[in-house]
Amino acid sequence: MGSLMLVLLLLLIIGSIVWYTRNHKARQEEPPSMGGTDPALPPLISGKGVRSATPRPAFDGQIVVSGLTKRYNGVTAVDDLSFVVRPGRVTGFLGPNGAGKTTTLRMILGLAAPTAGTATIGGICYIDLPEPLRHVGGLLETSAAHRGRTGRNHLRIICQSVGIPLERADEVLELVGLTPAGRRTFKGYSLGMRQRLGIAAALIGDPRVLILDEPANGLDPDGIRWMRDLLKALAADGRTVLVSSHLLAEMQQLADDLVIIAAGRLVAQGTVDSVLDSMAHSARVLVRISDAEKLTAACGEDAVVVTRENGDLHITGMDATAVGEAAARAGVVVHQLVTERPDLEDVFLELTRGKATIR
Amino acid sequence: MTPLDSLVISAAPRTGFAPMQRVRAEIMKIRTTNTWWMFSIGIVLVTAEALLRNGVSHHYDLHPALAGLDPADKAQALATAARAHTHAGQAAIASNMMTSGQFLGVLFAMLIGVLVVTNEYSHQTATATYLANPRRGTVIVAKFIAAACFGALFWLVSTLIDVIVTPIYLHSQQLGVSLADWAVVRSVLLNLLAFIMWAIFGLGLGTLIRSQLGSVITGIAAYLLGTAAVAVIFELIYNAYHHTWVQGAIVIAPAVASLVMTTPGQAFDRAPPQWTGLIIMIGYTLLFGTIGVQLTRRRDI
Ligand SMILES: Nc1ncnc2c1ncn2[C@@H]1O[C@H](COP(=O)(O)OP(=O)(O)O)[C@@H](O)[C@H]1O
Ligand SMILES: [Mg+2]
Repeated sequence: MGSLMLVLLLLLIIGSIVWYTRNHKARQEEPPSMGGTDPALPPLISGKGVRSATPRPAFDGQIVVSGLTKRYNGVTAVDDLSFVVRPGRVTGFLGPNGAGKTTTLRMILGLAAPTAGTATIGGICYIDLPEPLRHVGGLLETSAAHRGRTGRNHLRIICQSVGIPLERADEVLELVGLTPAGRRTFKGYSLGMRQRLGIAAALIGDPRVLILDEPANGLDPDGIRWMRDLLKALAADGRTVLVSSHLLAEMQQLADDLVIIAAGRLVAQGTVDSVLDSMAHSARVLVRISDAEKLTAACGEDAVVVTRENGDLHITGMDATAVGEAAARAGVVVHQLVTERPDLEDVFLELTRGKATIR
Repeated sequence: MTPLDSLVISAAPRTGFAPMQRVRAEIMKIRTTNTWWMFSIGIVLVTAEALLRNGVSHHYDLHPALAGLDPADKAQALATAARAHTHAGQAAIASNMMTSGQFLGVLFAMLIGVLVVTNEYSHQTATATYLANPRRGTVIVAKFIAAACFGALFWLVSTLIDVIVTPIYLHSQQLGVSLADWAVVRSVLLNLLAFIMWAIFGLGLGTLIRSQLGSVITGIAAYLLGTAAVAVIFELIYNAYHHTWVQGAIVIAPAVASLVMTTPGQAFDRAPPQWTGLIIMIGYTLLFGTIGVQLTRRRDI
């Protein structure tokens, strides 16, 4: 009886190994060839595995979100969201707390299933990417390591699980400046060190695309500058960098493009300049003038004129040309005429005003 | 040096066979925490304790203290001693010594199976894991194989201690039975089976109940209390219906299934055949594993 059972068990083990191997081979042949444009990356699929005669377009690293929706019982965290993130640029993903940034990024990275809509990277859903870590690096607010494990071992495990040589762990540790802490356990790490470890993990596969959720959280000013330089360098290298944040001033210094959401919906999208320009109606004109009252009278009904303590006027609702012409009509001498562009913070508050933030 | 200088290094292609790498990563996850040596020490301690207890108990079977016993007890003790000295009796003693540590060791195997899955959630490493391998089924399969390896390894540690102590003990008791006796070898192999089955049973349980505490408690209850509870229930059913198969059906309790599986011959009165124990253990594992994989695929991280 005992020997019969052992034979049974052996058959079971052999059977499952055969099944697993065949399954794996089949999967390796499935995905489209994405012959790398990046010479640093080896071809993803060895010659013999490729069956299709017409090569697919190369992996371009563009992120396309279309009609993405996520509903949790009652709450629509992300609501019919569509935007495109281009390679070679840093794209800031802005929104107040609870706007749905994290939820969107989790859906892009295949960690949460969308209620509706799709998110693709280089035209492919994250979970269908062959060797995803070699294409996309992700950092999420839930990214953590085992409390009792060293940061270095955390990275080595990731390398091991995707077949990247384990020495890569030391390289990315060095890159994020964590080498001295690499052999200490995660529970002793400060918030900033945890973020650095998360960024190191995202860089393991030398990815074309980086998706980072609030990476500046917990970093000191030095760390923030370091990260800004790193992300800019990565974008300049032709990579796609999507960074969510609520630190608006930081975004203005870092981002080339912006995607602004509030209450799960898109409110603005485009280059930083175009988003600021779209808010030009809220631009203020500052005038220093000989006779404030005459000019105030000369400005039309639409203009809002605020007199400051030193006698300068802040005018909104008219552009500088119109103010100059009004001054000429009124016969007053203009000493100074300046258009003050709104900064990102103003635009952001304006765009997201009145939207339920914490849901 | 710009930050980018060290970025272009990962050009090295994937090395080796992907499923195997995932299994090795799962093994690394355990090896790089203190779970590793805590469980090893645990296995050593429970094996040592079991060897001591079994050794003493067999010594009194072989050499009963007859002074002061009434004639009936005396006769029984002598009969036991005589049986223990037969070839079959010696083989039974050797088997028992060689599987010392099974009762609690198997519990450790189950717990490590539970930890292999639930650690990902209690320490929020699931994000990193599923970013690296977004096809979650492949991760769970790797975890099953890793859990089986841990089960086998715990068996190895326990058996190594047994194989050192048992010959010395047998010699000291002047028993001539060989450890290569098929009855002994069979017990040792069935012991391996038990360690592996409980480790993957724990893993299946972990995929089903994501909460670490929840699955640990359920697992221990299934192992220790489950048997008693099921025995009582089946006794009640038996009293009501008086079908003898009811007494055998108690094998559906995992702990009873394991007992039946590891006991050559009848594990208890009316016990069903040995293979039913194995089938039921595999059945539980497949059931939990299948439901677990489905749940893991659907659930958001
Ligand atoms: N797992 C979840 N279950 C229920 N509601 C959730 C879950 N995750 C997020 N939400 C809700 O979705 C909304 C968006 O959350 P989130 O994406 O974390 O916003 P952000 O990252 O922009 O601060 C919030 O109202 C939050 O309460
Ligand atoms: Mg967030």
